[in-house]
Amino acid sequence: MSPGLTLVGQSGLTYFGRTTASISHELKNALAIIKENAGLLGDYLLMMEKGMPIDPARFKTVAGRIEDQITRADGIIKNLNRFAHSVDDPVKAIDLNETAGLLGVLSQREAAMRQIALQVIPQEGTLTVTTAPYLLLNLLGRCLSICLQHMGAGKTLSVRVAKEGDKACIVFDALDAAALASAGSFPGESESALLSAVGADCRLDGNQGRLIITLSNR
Amino acid sequence: MGEKILLVDDEKDFLTVMSERMTARGMEVTTADSAQEALQEVESGAYDAIVLDLKMPGMDGIETLKAIKARNPTLQVILLTGHATLEKGIEAMKLGAMDFVEKPADLNVLTEKIKKAQARKMVLVAEQTEQKLKSILQAKGW
Repeated sequence: MSPGLTLVGQSGLTYFGRTTASISHELKNALAIIKENAGLLGDYLLMMEKGMPIDPARFKTVAGRIEDQITRADGIIKNLNRFAHSVDDPVKAIDLNETAGLLGVLSQREAAMRQIALQVIPQEGTLTVTTAPYLLLNLLGRCLSICLQHMGAGKTLSVRVAKEGDKACIVFDALDAAALASAGSFPGESESALLSAVGADCRLDGNQGRLIITLSNR
Repeated sequence: MGEKILLVDDEKDFLTVMSERMTARGMEVTTADSAQEALQEVESGAYDAIVLDLKMPGMDGIETLKAIKARNPTLQVILLTGHATLEKGIEAMKLGAMDFVEKPADLNVLTEKIKKAQARKMVLVAEQTEQKLKSILQAKGW
């Protein structure tokens, strides 16, 4: 295996592991809330058995909380499923809006941990490119992590899908130019290997505070 | 009187339901949904145990644990973790956590650990008081 492919493979496994770990943590949180609410229902029943009256509205509140967490967990699992299926086809035509949307939901927790708001801005209509879907997601995930590492808490990172002539772009916006300069080694070896594997270029625009990934194979 | 507990987690729904269940078991529960809020509470209140989530936005559980212990070494901290790995547990214990519990936690197990924390804190406070008294007696030459 060539060094480039080894790097892509390692990077892919790291990203898969990191993302599924984050998702499993989110699921655990939802399950913990469901478990405690189920326990609370048990507490209410015990109280009733001992002759203590319980307002039916309290049962309704607990049922509502359980339903909310099940909806949340279902959403998390749907995203995990979309993520898992991103490895189905080595190369295929994808809508960049969908990829950016998936990147956004998969990265919400990472951004929240750094107290940074994450905003995904799709391009109007669809913007199709033919590429390696999982490797592109991996590349964008790495870019997003680097952006988050070089932003302060309380800021907003926007991920915008855009057309640039006949090319398609993903623009990471509202970055701090000084902080970006400190990310001097970007793209590193792994990012360069991923850029090559998905047929993309990247550039840092310090003046505008942007990191731009450009895909030409539309 | 029930145990005085500070419950720290960024999941507000978790705080609400845990607080209700612990209160029903006779504990006096205060909640904080961030490390910053928890540290303010630690300054102002005397707690028998602090139940602290390991993963929180901003300052995480380990950093918060260090800050709590720096403010008051007698405070007993039980860490709540999504994945109770041995590695994390050892790290937490080294930094002074009394124990750790994996989420979703069993409330009976957690209650037991809280009771142990309260007992341990009482011993530590008694030792501190004895030490202070000895120092005063020595200083005054009585």
